[in-house]
Amino acid sequence: MNTLFALATGLMFGMGIFQLLRRDLIKSAMGFYILFTSINFLFLAVGAYDGVIAPYVDANNQTSSQPSDPLVQALILTAIVISFGSYALLLGLIAVSSRRFRTLDSDRIDQLKG
Amino acid sequence: MVLVLVILLPFLLAVLVSFARMRASTVGTISALAMLTLFIISLLQLSSVTVLGASSLNIPWIPEIGLTLSIYVDGLALLFVLLITGIGVAVMFYAGQYFEDGRTAARFLALLLAFTGSMLALVLAGNVLTLFIAWEATSIISFLLIGFYGGDSAARRGASQALVITGGGGLALLVGLLLMGSAGGSLQIADLLANGDVLRAHPWYTAMVILILIGCFSKSAQFPLHFWLPGAMSAPTPASAFLHSATMVKAGIYLLARLSPALGDTLLWTTVLPVFGIITLLMGAVLALRQRDLKAILAYSTISQLGAFVALIGLPNGEGLKAAFVGILAHGLYKCALFLIAGAIDHATGTRDILLLGGLRRSMPGFALVTLFAGLSMAGVPPLFGFVAKELLIEAAEIDPLALIIVVLSAAFTVTVALRLFWDVFVRPGAPHDGVELHLHKLPRLMVIGPALLAVTSVVTGIGVGPLITPLIEPALGKPTSLYLFPPGGINLAFVLSMTALAVGIAVFLTRGWWLAWRLPTLTSGTQIYAGIIRAVEGLGDLLLTSQGGKIRYYLTAILTAVVLLLTIAIVRILPFEIQAIELKNASDVLKAVLLGLALVSTGASILFERHLLAALSLGVAGYAIGGIFLLEPAPDVALVQFLVETLATVLIILILARTSPEERQQAISKLWGQTRWGLMRDLTIATALGCAMTIFALAAVNSRPTPNSIAGWHLENALPQVGVNDVVAAIVTDFRGTDTLIEITVFGIASLGVLTLLARPKPGKVTRFRLRLRHPVRSMQIEPSGETEPDLPMIYRSRFADPVTQLAALLVLPFSFVIALAHIAYAGVAPGDGFTAGAIIGLGITLWFVVFGYQETKARLRWLHPTSLIGAGISVALINAALPLVFGREFLAFTQVADIYVADIKIASTLLFEVGICLTVFGGVSTIMEAISHPQEAEPL
Repeated sequence: MNTLFALATGLMFGMGIFQLLRRDLIKSAMGFYILFTSINFLFLAVGAYDGVIAPYVDANNQTSSQPSDPLVQALILTAIVISFGSYALLLGLIAVSSRRFRTLDSDRIDQLKG
Repeated sequence: MVLVLVILLPFLLAVLVSFARMRASTVGTISALAMLTLFIISLLQLSSVTVLGASSLNIPWIPEIGLTLSIYVDGLALLFVLLITGIGVAVMFYAGQYFEDGRTAARFLALLLAFTGSMLALVLAGNVLTLFIAWEATSIISFLLIGFYGGDSAARRGASQALVITGGGGLALLVGLLLMGSAGGSLQIADLLANGDVLRAHPWYTAMVILILIGCFSKSAQFPLHFWLPGAMSAPTPASAFLHSATMVKAGIYLLARLSPALGDTLLWTTVLPVFGIITLLMGAVLALRQRDLKAILAYSTISQLGAFVALIGLPNGEGLKAAFVGILAHGLYKCALFLIAGAIDHATGTRDILLLGGLRRSMPGFALVTLFAGLSMAGVPPLFGFVAKELLIEAAEIDPLALIIVVLSAAFTVTVALRLFWDVFVRPGAPHDGVELHLHKLPRLMVIGPALLAVTSVVTGIGVGPLITPLIEPALGKPTSLYLFPPGGINLAFVLSMTALAVGIAVFLTRGWWLAWRLPTLTSGTQIYAGIIRAVEGLGDLLLTSQGGKIRYYLTAILTAVVLLLTIAIVRILPFEIQAIELKNASDVLKAVLLGLALVSTGASILFERHLLAALSLGVAGYAIGGIFLLEPAPDVALVQFLVETLATVLIILILARTSPEERQQAISKLWGQTRWGLMRDLTIATALGCAMTIFALAAVNSRPTPNSIAGWHLENALPQVGVNDVVAAIVTDFRGTDTLIEITVFGIASLGVLTLLARPKPGKVTRFRLRLRHPVRSMQIEPSGETEPDLPMIYRSRFADPVTQLAALLVLPFSFVIALAHIAYAGVAPGDGFTAGAIIGLGITLWFVVFGYQETKARLRWLHPTSLIGAGISVALINAALPLVFGREFLAFTQVADIYVADIKIASTLLFEVGICLTVFGGVSTIMEAISHPQEAEPL
């Protein structure tokens, strides 16, 4: 199962990079989000346990069966929230620049041209 | 030690002066009095130094790199301290009279005082690194002073040229000093002076000396790095007088004298220094003859004298040191006086051109008298101090006939220059130029006091040179010596030669009508070479700039290609490794695989769909599928967050789509989808390469993942005992890795504030403050129909979705969302759901309101909603919660049970407070983002 996740990471990462290179800025932003999501798969893949139940301990500090790895879950949680924040900021930037430059084509926004 | 006070006082005063609101003369007088105090304090130190020898004070700062704040006081240092503070008295008083505006004077004197502090730190430094810091500080303040009149482009050019030359020299100096410190085993000057033999025999000696010499030559304007000094004459005259004649340019001389016991007396030292010094001496004297600008004349003659000092320091066995020290004092006194007078003339007549000036003795008699005495000191006429200096110089030059001839010749030219300064400016009748008379501006009466003080000192120290100056020179030389006005053995060779120089100088002066008119070929000057180098560097920069295409995609391609290369190199090293087989053990695994496939297919679909809305929706599908995978993991907390955030993200992108113009989107879709084949291939290649690299990386990571006896096990075992919650993930998030979470919510808050700033800036021209607008939205929101607003914008603030069903839904959802959020927070430790999910749920409720009701009505009906304050409140709660354990004597973010309180089976503990903080921040952040997007006002298009 973890191998599957690892393969999925690579595949999604590739798709995200492809989207990132689009000329259309909105598609490019979506590619950015895909990249973030693919890394969550990587976290899942390197989890320590093949869990059967959720990582909750009962009152005696026991678990009835093999719990899934809580540490990667905490990391994924943080990553999801941060990715949303970055996504929002990126989309805000694109909205503003589309108004400013009157285009969604990233090739037309070439103010850095030497 | 009291000398620490001497260094710190000017800085302190500089800060105070910069806030001063007094008249210029008052500020000047205060600064002058401060300088006088420092002078007297230093004078009192003289006796202790004479008796006790050198002393030092060390305060360790960064011992690992040998940086110690240390002061090393000996005769040489005190000599310079007295020079700086003594001349400072006159200059600061003069500056108070020179400037008419109090604010300008305050700014100037603050800089000058800061400079004095740096200069004092330089000469009193006991550690080569602190010396270097002070060195660079003087360069920078000199830059600020030269460019004081920032509007003048010549001043700016001169300032940057000075900074580049002295700064570049400073870099060389740093390397040289570090080499010396490394070779000598210590960065302390006292230690290095004691290790002279080690340094002289060291293989790095040549490199060390050359680098230090480059630094000193650049600072003291020696050939060939002299050309910045005439360019620095754009500084206000008090600055030129203080920095570029009396103190800063002598910093190089000081360093050479300071290091001569350690580095001197070798072939390199005794060859290079005298050679360059003599060249500079002659060159400066000759170039001074034909200048028209008074300050340029003085600048070149300063360069000449500095060359003399450098040559003197380079003499073997320290023979020239006495002449150098006396010369430094004498030169400082007369040159500074002359500079100040030049400034006064400039102030009075508006010009510094010596060909236009004349006959000023009638209107400026005091200045004429002062110029007479200062000029006599410069010319070396007895009984002034300059005469003593000149005698000593000639005596020291007697060892080499060629040097002697050059010295005498330069002395003669200096006499000529001095005569010109007095006669042509004050005595000779003025030559009205094109019929324009010199406009004479009335000068403040006290302005003459500064230069007069210096001139009088020249006279007094000349007549009483034995008793007055010997106690200054002896500690600096370290051995007893005698100074006299007339040699006790009667007339000697030096006297004869100096009289000869005087005669030759007068002769040259009398024939000046003849040689001033010569037309000499103009050689390439140092300034032109410098300007050429700067142009070449800028040209190179422009050339490199043409490689910038400006397109984001090209930059991305370049970056990603580099990443691929680096990853390939890394991967090649770890190949081959073992890959685990793919096995689906049970139904859960099969379902996970199916959902994974769904996620990947949806993502692929989002790539292939042309229309933005469909692409966004399919991305949402992918996100939900991933949420399902999390659910099956099983990871219920994460699944919840994933579902909520995916919803928010989809809503976000759809709202952003609404904010962008439909024509642009249509154009993007139609034009941009059909890419050229070559471009497509290129993008596919990079994507495939990176995807493969990432796959291999992930497979390798899976292969080396931690064994079950990993830190995860520790977390599972310690969640309940240490944190008191059953949900291990919540324990990790709020306690074990609490700082992560703290920073994460801060980042989220900042990002949402960023979105707010980007999307919701008020229209320029309206002065209403943003916060006020939010409190009274209905009244003050004036959306003027202007030609620039896009026609589809009304959709946002007069929502199309506001029909009764959706409104009812929104009205119901919000309170329920609060209830659910409360439940999540309360049961964060025992059930799925925590602060994040709580905040996100309320955020979604608010988003629904914004979409259904639109911005205006939402703000009107939800008066209690202040999103940005919520972010602040949330982060504050989290921080207070984290800091609370400190009150109880435990660590930051340690778990604290505030009290053993159980409220309805809910523990009141630090995790609860943290969850509340997280909820508030996430709620505030989401609301801010959504509010910003639905805000009707946006940045104006350029």
